[in-house]
Amino acid sequence: MRGSGQETSAGLAPSPPVIAASQGLSWLWQHLREVTQPHILDCSAISPTTLNILLDRKAKLFVADLLSVSLDAEAKLWDRTQKIPVFKTADFISYFPDVPSGSLSAILSWNLLDLLPESARLPVTEKLFSFLQPLGVVFSILREPNLKSGVGRRWWLQSQTQVHVEQDQKRTFPYPPISNREIEKLAPGGNVKIFLTRSGRREILSIKG
Amino acid sequence: MWWEKKGQTSTEPQRPRAPSPPLHPPVRIEMAEPIPAAVPETSSPRTENPMNENLMKSPNTSSSSAHQTLLGGSVVLRGELSADEDLVIDGQFDGSINLKDHTLSVGQHGKVKADITARQVVVGGVVEGKISAKDKIEIRKTGHVVGDLLSAGVAIEEGAYFKGSIEIQRDDIKATSRSAASLSA
Repeated sequence: MRGSGQETSAGLAPSPPVIAASQGLSWLWQHLREVTQPHILDCSAISPTTLNILLDRKAKLFVADLLSVSLDAEAKLWDRTQKIPVFKTADFISYFPDVPSGSLSAILSWNLLDLLPESARLPVTEKLFSFLQPLGVVFSILREPNLKSGVGRRWWLQSQTQVHVEQDQKRTFPYPPISNREIEKLAPGGNVKIFLTRSGRREILSIKG
Repeated sequence: MWWEKKGQTSTEPQRPRAPSPPLHPPVRIEMAEPIPAAVPETSSPRTENPMNENLMKSPNTSSSSAHQTLLGGSVVLRGELSADEDLVIDGQFDGSINLKDHTLSVGQHGKVKADITARQVVVGGVVEGKISAKDKIEIRKTGHVVGDLLSAGVAIEEGAYFKGSIEIQRDDIKATSRSAASLSA
């Protein structure tokens, strides 16, 4: 499945930091339209605008800057004393906030899975899904394979359906991209919606069955 | 010396004061460390308010707050703290804090590990614990908070660190658990 992300091929500057409109978020809010008080986990650093938008939506908000943890993982989360370096997934999961199991309506995980080694993706996804209630959604924005650099450090909402990203323009992605087939395997039940964008990234909604 | 009262410096005009109850009758304090040596009155002027000016000038400071207590930067306290006046912490506190209808300000150098109940809480330093504020919780850009926030209003400045949960207490939100039922319905 290819999108217009080809516009941002390797070697060119990544797309501007504003994604004008997010179809994925439009879908998410439509999905949550009858939820009086959605419980939402934001995996990026706290942003005043995200806070205001989600609180205006009467959400109960959980916040943990897991993106920074994964971007700064080298010293803390990699064990390089062995012949093959090992990513300490359990240590990474310990950075998650205390969220009651099965309580969340949605998780804004942004590009978290792009920032994790393959060995950590499944356990981290399982942990995220354990927080979700039935029909809860993990919202991700993952790079297309042709997007080589421009790692997003911080994401926030400009409105309910507009996303801003602060990215390191020259920083290359540390791990191989995740294919759509892998995403379906990671999502228990395999209920996944993928929206293509012009930014070289895919918006992905993984719905808990 | 480590409970300093604002408005008692010699430069301030003396105002007539009505007889007041003991300053801190409800406070039970267990010292975690020996009290630092008292600083002579004649020593170099010490800022009464070492916090950011803006931090102290909270927009909604209670008009009833005639008194404000400061726990200075060298203070280390552990225990249960309740008071009927505003409190500024620029030192370290470990325990629980109950200010009822008053404001707690944690200065840039303040480190608080406590469950907090107050009318308003302003954080410029480090706080770990549950914060419950009737009116508002503010985390300034220098603030670092790990815990759960419950209030009618929450404001977090760009650059602040927060990890935990935020819940707005409104009259129209009665039961959070209803959301689970409505989503799965």
